[in-house]
This record gives sequence, structure tokens and C-alpha cells, in this order.
Amino acid sequence: MSSYVNYKDEIIRSIFLKIAIVILLFSPPVDAIYIISNITADTASLSVTQLRRIYSVRQVNWKNGTPIVVYVLASNEPLHQKFCKEKLRLFPYQLDRIWQKLTFSGYGVAPIEVATQQALIEAVQSTKGAIGYVEKLSEVKDVNVIKIDD
Amino acid sequence: MLTSLKLMIRSTTLPFYYTSALCSICLAFNVSASTVKNESLQVHGFVAQGIINADKSNFINTDESLSLELTEVGINASYQLNNDFRLAGQAVYLNGGNRYHAGPRIDYLLLQWNAFHNEVWQANFYFGRVKNNHWLYSSTRDIPFARPSIIIPQVVYFDGFRDIAVGGDGAAVKIRYSDDDFGEVDFNFSRGESAISGDQSDVVIGKFALGQLGHDLDMQASVYWQPPFSGWRFGLSALDSTFVYNQAKIDNYFDGEFIFQFYTANALYEGEYWQFSAEFFQERFLTKGFYLPSFHRDEIGQGYYLQASYKILNNLSLMTRHERFYANKDDKNGSKLAQISGGAVPSYFGFHNDNMIGLSYDFASNFRLNAEYHWMEGGARLTPIVQPDPIANASKNWQVWAIQLMYWF
Repeated sequence: MSSYVNYKDEIIRSIFLKIAIVILLFSPPVDAIYIISNITADTASLSVTQLRRIYSVRQVNWKNGTPIVVYVLASNEPLHQKFCKEKLRLFPYQLDRIWQKLTFSGYGVAPIEVATQQALIEAVQSTKGAIGYVEKLSEVKDVNVIKIDD
Repeated sequence: MLTSLKLMIRSTTLPFYYTSALCSICLAFNVSASTVKNESLQVHGFVAQGIINADKSNFINTDESLSLELTEVGINASYQLNNDFRLAGQAVYLNGGNRYHAGPRIDYLLLQWNAFHNEVWQANFYFGRVKNNHWLYSSTRDIPFARPSIIIPQVVYFDGFRDIAVGGDGAAVKIRYSDDDFGEVDFNFSRGESAISGDQSDVVIGKFALGQLGHDLDMQASVYWQPPFSGWRFGLSALDSTFVYNQAKIDNYFDGEFIFQFYTANALYEGEYWQFSAEFFQERFLTKGFYLPSFHRDEIGQGYYLQASYKILNNLSLMTRHERFYANKDDKNGSKLAQISGGAVPSYFGFHNDNMIGLSYDFASNFRLNAEYHWMEGGARLTPIVQPDPIANASKNWQVWAIQLMYWF
């Protein structure tokens, strides 16, 4: 009797284990951030320093000469904060300082702030030379995904 | 029946027409959405208002009353003409009480030429009215949310010189170099002059000087270095400027020339919770004539400030700053100044010290409240600059507090 119960438990446990493995294999990482660009941007990968240069407006053109147009969310948005820390290794306020100085001293043009993730995706899809960041890649079409070399 | 049939047909036809019209409009919008979005024009602005009070000093007003003379409003536009050229301009309205003359100003109005760029080098030229970009906070001294506090370090950013130090009409060049191993280096150079209005003159030379103050061309240069992946950034700057005073037919003062040279070394640290900044400087203020035809005074002044801020919460920061300034490094306590003036100018007009504490709270990413309290000592950073007012400023120690609300877009 007890061996029958044990056997049944084993089967249930192994089924759960298999389901868990399948889920893990096919679900995307929870915390991933993807860098996307308009299809006119001819770059497949960037180093962290290159990405920082783009977001701190020290590099303003892609290799093919297309001007880079940077889109961001508001600095207190969780995705923006995660992007700054994980991808750029900068604090959001450091970028704010650089961008505010450019915008309000006339010395340059800062990234364009949009209200929602959806607006950011649409802006990147429709603006020549645009770059931005997303969390769920599966819902995004007609963009170039840029790999960041750590 | 025929009527009702006609109505029926009409009622089925009309929705079809409406639907097809709607579809056409949608298609049109879809078509325009898939074409390139044009972000050439950018418009931004800000509005800030506060209350300020200075005790035992005419820093803000003569009657030392609570004042609303803490207003900063601005609007700017940037238009990208093509890949290489951009137009930008900003207009502001400022009211700072006695600190500088209240009124509207064209803050900057320039043409930018992106002369050269590749992945590591960038060279930009700016022509027109250009902001002073050489000190830590000089280019954003009137932008309430982009400066460290409501009253910025007077030892470096003396409000009495604001209209002259904030920028000038001329040209500037900014060269940027980014290297994975060496870090980021910025070099800036500018030449310009400021048109000094009657009100601005009063701030520098007082109302008893009835002649004209003019600003000859000035030159400024600075270099900044940020090591790779470092929270530190270091900078050096130098400024050389000349002002000429032409006496009026009947005047209390004589023709004169002022040479002002200013050298700074600065450091900035940005951490997750802590931020530090410091600027050390030496100035040379040479006065020829003005008080008397044969007058000659060549003074070397020195000063510094040390500033720290701590992020208590994501939207709440605490800051503190210590500043010191001596108008004459060989007369740090001002005793020689008192002696030369026969006691008319008290010794505390020879220096300026400040200890301050402030809080900053963000209601949203573009809406902030700042509050601060300053314990000031000395009169060396009060206006009028060349004519200290010991009657309005009879106390060596004086205090200022201020609260300001700001919104930007």
C-alpha cells in the first residue's frame, strides 16, 4: 500500500519537474532589457562605453552618418532606472544633469522623453536613426535589436 | 413604403460612406505614421517661484522684509536645420531682488555648427549669444532644477557679476574626445562681450557713478576630464576680461579700467547616494583710475567651496555647503581695507563666508521643491561691488533663507 502511494507521489513529482523545466526553457528572463533601434540604424552590437556615449550625447551619428535620435521614459520610471543601472552603469540623475545642461544652456539636444513604453516603441519604429529600450521583445516588430557587449 | 425603403437604403449607404471615409482617414494616418517622424523642433521651458528673506543685509531688499523676488521663468526652442546646423534660443524672466537687475533677457541665441564628428571626436562651434560653459554650474545658474541650490555659491557665482559672467555675444568652440581607456575629455574656448545696460552698471558700480561701463572682449577656456567608469570628474578654467568706465561730463568718478582674471579648479563626484563638488579659485581684480585718476589697485582674491549632498530617499535629498572668499589674499581679515578707507569700509567687507543646509523634494520627475538656510559672514559678495554699503549691511553676520517651487518641461 505505502509503496503504491510512494510511486504515485514520484510520478506527480516528476511531472511537475518536467513542466517546470519546460516553463523555464521557454520563458524569457524576467529582468531583461533590450536595446532597439530604427531599421535605418546599421549597428548590430555596441559596447557599454559606446551606448553611454550615445545616451550622454557624445556620439550623435550612426556609422552610416544617420543622426541618432534617442528616446527615453521619464527619469522616475522603473524601466528607465533599470536601464541606466544595468545597461549604462550610470545613475539616472547623472543623465538628467547632462541632458538638462544641454537643453537649457543651448549647447545641444537631449534625448526625447515619451510618456509610455508603447509610445517609445512607436517612436523608434517611425523615426529615422532612433534608439530606445524595451522590456518585452516579443511584442515589438519592425525594429533592429542591438546586442550590448559587456 | 417606398420612403421607408429609401430611408433604409440611405441608412445602409451612409454608414458605408462614413466607414469608407473613416477607413481612408485611418489609412492616411497609418501612412503618415509609417513615414519618418520629424523631431527637428524641440521646445522646453520652466517656471519657478519662491519666497526669500535676508536678515541684517540688503542682499535681497533694503527693508529686509520677506520677499517674493525669487522668480525664474524661461522658454527655449531648438531647431535642427540640417545634419550640421542647429538654431537655438532661450528667453527668460528673472527677479532676484538686489542681486541682479530684474527683467526679461535673451539668455542665449545661437547657431551651432557640428564641424566634425566620429565615434570618438566631436567638434562644435557656437555663434551668437552663448552661455558661459566653463565653470561647474555657470551654464545653468538660472535654471532652478539644474543648479545645486537656490542661492548658488556666491564665492564663484557672484550674482553681482551675473549678467557679465553668464555668457556673452561672440563665439565658442567645444571639442569632445571619448576613449575607452583614458576616459572623456572636453575642451571649451569662448570669446565674447556683454552689452552692459544701465541697470547692470548700477549693480557693479552703484548709482553714484554717472558714466558708462563697457565690457571689452573677454576670453575663457576650460578643460574637463572624466576617467572611464568613474564617478569623478575634474576641471580647470581660466577667464580674462576687461571693463572700461567712461566718466560722464559731471561725475563722482573718473575714467577707469578694470581687469578681471579668474582661474578655477573643480572636482565633482557622483555616487549612488552621495554627491560631492568643489571649486577652488583665484581672481585678479586690477583697478586703474575710477576712484581717482591716478588710482591703482591690484588685488589677488582667493576662495573655494565644498559641497555634499545625500539622497535620503529616491525623491528627497539633503545638502550642505561651506564657502570661503577673501577679496585680497594678503588681507584675509579685511583689516587693511578698513585702514585704507579710514574706517569707512568695515573690515568684514574684505571677506565672505557661507555655511548652508538645504533640502530638495521631488513631487514628480519635473516638479520640485527646494528649501535652504544660509549663515553668511562678511560683505565681500554684496552689491554694489565697487561701492560697499556698510549702512545697509551693518552686521558682519547675516542670514538668508529661501523656499522655491519649480516646474519644467
